[in-house]
Amino acid sequence: MKLERAATALPRHGWQLLPLRFHRLDADSVVLTNLAGEHVFVTPDELGAVVDGTCADQELLARLRAAHLIQVPGERLPAELLAIKLRTRMQRLPDSTGLHIFVVTLRCEHTCRYCQVSRQSAAKNEFDMTEQTARRALELVFRSPSPQLKIEFQGGEPLLNFPLVRWITTEANRINKEHGKDLAFVIATNLALLDEEILGFCAEEQIHISTSLDGPQDLHNSNRRRPGRDSWQQAVTGIRRVQERLGADRVSALMTTTEASLGRAAEIIDTYAELGLHGVFLRPISPYGFALRGRGGANYDVGRWLEFYAAGLDQIVALNRQGVPMVEMYASIIAKKMLTNADPGYVDLTSPAGIGIGALVYNYDGDIYASDEGRMLAEMGDRTFRLGNVHGSSYADIMLSDALLNPLTESITLSAPMCATCAFEPYCGADPVFHHTTTGDFTGHKALSAFCRRNMGVFTLLLRKMRDDPYFRDLLWRWAQ
Amino acid sequence: MSPAGSAPGAGAGATGAGATGAAEITLAFDQATVDLDALQRSAYAVAAEMTVDIRVRGADYVCTLFPRKHDGAVEELKHRFRAEVNDQILRVRIAKETEPLRNLVFALAFSRTGLVEAEGPG
Repeated sequence: MKLERAATALPRHGWQLLPLRFHRLDADSVVLTNLAGEHVFVTPDELGAVVDGTCADQELLARLRAAHLIQVPGERLPAELLAIKLRTRMQRLPDSTGLHIFVVTLRCEHTCRYCQVSRQSAAKNEFDMTEQTARRALELVFRSPSPQLKIEFQGGEPLLNFPLVRWITTEANRINKEHGKDLAFVIATNLALLDEEILGFCAEEQIHISTSLDGPQDLHNSNRRRPGRDSWQQAVTGIRRVQERLGADRVSALMTTTEASLGRAAEIIDTYAELGLHGVFLRPISPYGFALRGRGGANYDVGRWLEFYAAGLDQIVALNRQGVPMVEMYASIIAKKMLTNADPGYVDLTSPAGIGIGALVYNYDGDIYASDEGRMLAEMGDRTFRLGNVHGSSYADIMLSDALLNPLTESITLSAPMCATCAFEPYCGADPVFHHTTTGDFTGHKALSAFCRRNMGVFTLLLRKMRDDPYFRDLLWRWAQ
Repeated sequence: MSPAGSAPGAGAGATGAGATGAAEITLAFDQATVDLDALQRSAYAVAAEMTVDIRVRGADYVCTLFPRKHDGAVEELKHRFRAEVNDQILRVRIAKETEPLRNLVFALAFSRTGLVEAEGPG
């Protein structure tokens, strides 16, 4: 061991800095990250010594060198390795667009407090997508270079237009025989209209079900209102039916945090565990649609949401310690970015932003949007992120439109103030839709940005827990795989 | 200068009175030791807590701090800004030292993607 250390010891000035960024986690701890997001914890004094070139701690220098934060002058390998890792992280760029969202109807029989799109009466079928529109949208779907395609059916409540869901699925499978893509389908549904016919079709076509579950019965039914006030019962019954018929891994649920959720993180997670759901996505409310109209349950700030998130994460860790597997989905996305070179392609946490590149939305009327949030914004009267219409726009029109390229280029984090020097830049994203909505420009002012504060809060929380708790570090490694 | 430690050339003091009658909170930084770039980045980074006016006076940059909340924590505000300036000085220094390597890494990363060829005629 002594011989090895002597052989590899780096003398003062025998090494040089590689591009690195840092963030102070607390008074005694700083995290350093390299261009690809790999990290090392140091003390503030060690940071000063490393930058000054006076560090003589061979163990620390070895760790920094292994993490491509320093190198011996003249070395070529660290730059090559960093380049490979960066290229791997950017792999999705030439392979756009993987997610295609079909809004098959705006109709819905729920009237959720925080609904992000206009509610339309279940009888008004002028808000349904037609076969003609869907056919043209499918032509655009198969223009995407991505080898993996996911078609997600949304609404409104997509099961109100189930004949079109069936038609699109069948037609997409037919077209895909020529293309050979890895094609998957998801229905985002409240499950209230689930019946044997739909279940049978989902079983046959291996369709994944994504539903909403806000937690315990009273909380869920208060947020998600429908005639009979039985949204929770319908969702729970539906989840169990899908688990039994299609398999436990074929249904997942999302929750939305309202002000009423804030003190109830543990109850929410326990509800998921009791239903045999092994993942929960602790999502803040979005600044779109009815959520902003004073009655949507959005009356809380980032600080309160972060307290809720931390409490939820603690409960999830406690369940795992007891042998109950449970994943917090947002943390798992970040873990993949922190601990591997893969990019999970989560639209909100990518730069260049995931709009258009990661997802395209085909609205019921044929309008195409760069993201689901862009579509929601249009329902509020702001059509900034409308890229065209399936009946008049070519693939090139859409992907080379100013409506897509301007927000992409203006928001890229490697050139945005504060983001460019932020240690968390490799983990974070641009989200021009959020910043346009909240500040009126695609970049936003990061020091004032709720998006920035929320994500900085989550990154810092995860890193502190990894630093302090070996069990949590192992758990996050497992989530990253 | 010890960028990670004590404040770099920061003279300080509550000086004079502003147009509103409230005492101005100013910090002076020696131009020989502090880049304007670092000060401007610092002003951006602390914008949720204060706005900052930067002017040249003799050999100094004089920064006037305008807190968003008037809770009287003047010393805390000055510590906060000085700490941010220290960090930004480090960041500017790291960025300058590593710029050639950063460019090399990005060049290597994107030179083999085929994207350049794909952007050819047509």
